[in-house]
Amino acid sequence: MNVTSEEIMVSAAAAEIADGTAVFVGTGLPMLAAYLAKATHAPGVTLVFESGILDPKPRHLALGVGDFRLMSGATSVRGLYYVLSLLQRGVIHLGFLGAAEVDVFGNINSTIIGGDYRHPGKRLPGSGGANDIASSARATVIMCKHQPERLVERVQYLTSPGFLGGGDERERSGLIGGGPRMIITDLAVFRFDPETKRAYVTSIHPGVDSQAVIDGAGFKVEIGPDVERTVLPENAAVDFLRAMDPTGVYLRGAKELARG
Amino acid sequence: MNKVVSLEELAEVVQPGMSVSFSGFAHSLTPMAFVRELIRQGVDDLVLVGVAEAWAADMLCGASALRRMVFSNFMFEGFGLCRNFSRAIESGTVEFEDYSHFALASRFAAAAQGLPFTAVRSLIASDLLAGDGEQRVKHHTYDPPFGGGPVVLLPSVAPDVVVVHGHRGDCEGNVQVEGATAVIEEQAGAGKTVLATVEEIVDTSVLRAAPHHTVVPGMLVSQIAEVPYGAHPTGMYRLYDADYEYIREYVAVSRDPDRFAEHLAEVTAVNHRAYLQRLGVRRLLDLRVDPESGYHLELTEEGWRA
Repeated sequence: MNVTSEEIMVSAAAAEIADGTAVFVGTGLPMLAAYLAKATHAPGVTLVFESGILDPKPRHLALGVGDFRLMSGATSVRGLYYVLSLLQRGVIHLGFLGAAEVDVFGNINSTIIGGDYRHPGKRLPGSGGANDIASSARATVIMCKHQPERLVERVQYLTSPGFLGGGDERERSGLIGGGPRMIITDLAVFRFDPETKRAYVTSIHPGVDSQAVIDGAGFKVEIGPDVERTVLPENAAVDFLRAMDPTGVYLRGAKELARG
Repeated sequence: MNKVVSLEELAEVVQPGMSVSFSGFAHSLTPMAFVRELIRQGVDDLVLVGVAEAWAADMLCGASALRRMVFSNFMFEGFGLCRNFSRAIESGTVEFEDYSHFALASRFAAAAQGLPFTAVRSLIASDLLAGDGEQRVKHHTYDPPFGGGPVVLLPSVAPDVVVVHGHRGDCEGNVQVEGATAVIEEQAGAGKTVLATVEEIVDTSVLRAAPHHTVVPGMLVSQIAEVPYGAHPTGMYRLYDADYEYIREYVAVSRDPDRFAEHLAEVTAVNHRAYLQRLGVRRLLDLRVDPESGYHLELTEEGWRA
């Protein structure tokens, strides 16, 4: 079976979701990862969405967290303030984050590209719940494309905190959340050095050359001594994902494969 | 007390220079008929305090009706950037101040409790606090004498006018909303004046039969107007879905300021009744949802894509 890089990303993200935990989920690939985990190894996970929805059993894929399709089968439907309070309460084990820019310490920019804050080259939507997740979830998983302009040495604007300047800077800051656990890109998985808190490569997706991982990043990529191949999802998992997203709303690569 | 007025009268409450906030999250719950009416009346110089009402923000930016935005995130979920919002910042025509969702919602919640400030654990060590110059986020990092710090203190925020759109309400101003309620409760609690538009005005006995759906009590609401399809192009859970065909068109034309100006002139040239007539009965009926699931079952893939 041909497996796409998006499906590998989703499968790697799903593996981070433990049964019996509470997970804060956003739009896109994390949504699929959460559904996959819940359908397989983590049936008792509670999925929490920024729009105020708790633990839905959607029958149709939602276009976003505000989509009414996400309310189907929910155990509770509240408001944004209520569910974001859960983060600050410290009861969310894992949160997912996307990034226009993520740096080698896992800090995220989702505010500007180019120029400065007052006079940006391009203005992005802004933090939303991302800063809240990055600040207070016990751990986070960052998912983004592997591009030099995206994986940078330092973010232009620090919207959501990772390990700040590295070392114990985050611990000393007073942030209650544990910070990023990993960055999953379409080429590789990074984790963070326990001392320096710099990201390094722990696995490279099957079929990807290590030079592409190095060249595709804007920061100096360190490849860990025990680097592995990212585990491919089982066929049944891939089938599940394609059935969840048959038209390629999020799994655009799978749609292209299907077309041949 | 009968608080029912027309949409036109309701919009007249908002005067140039005021701060406003609207219900809404992504493509839902937004009082868009009210926003169009505000633009029709030519109100400008407004301060928008907004958590997630992307549609209101983008249209008011496109109409040059805002002086300042205090906000946490404006995007068209699934369809990318709010172009008018981005342009307003990039061109320097609107002042702005960024928060996280929780920080801004907390500022509303504090005002709703009659407190001058709130404390959050978000924003610490981020550039959201480090903002420069006269528009930097007003805050104070604080170690409470009881331990458990640090926390970030932020001032509460009470907009002059908060406008919510609900599924139904009564002549006393009680407003019901079904499904996820976004930030409505905190916004309505915070507003110095709260206005409501609702899909239908019903007898109070209808609300009494399902009081758990009432999210804004009438005692907080000054005036209310019956505005069917008042959220269009955003949707209302269990009533009508977001109009994805319209959204696609809007996102396409808003890439170009001139084309957007034409579009805006078109949709604000007429009152809400004529706006609906223009959309046509067929289209409005097609937006009605499957009553069991609460959404439209027959959206095509094209409907989903920008």
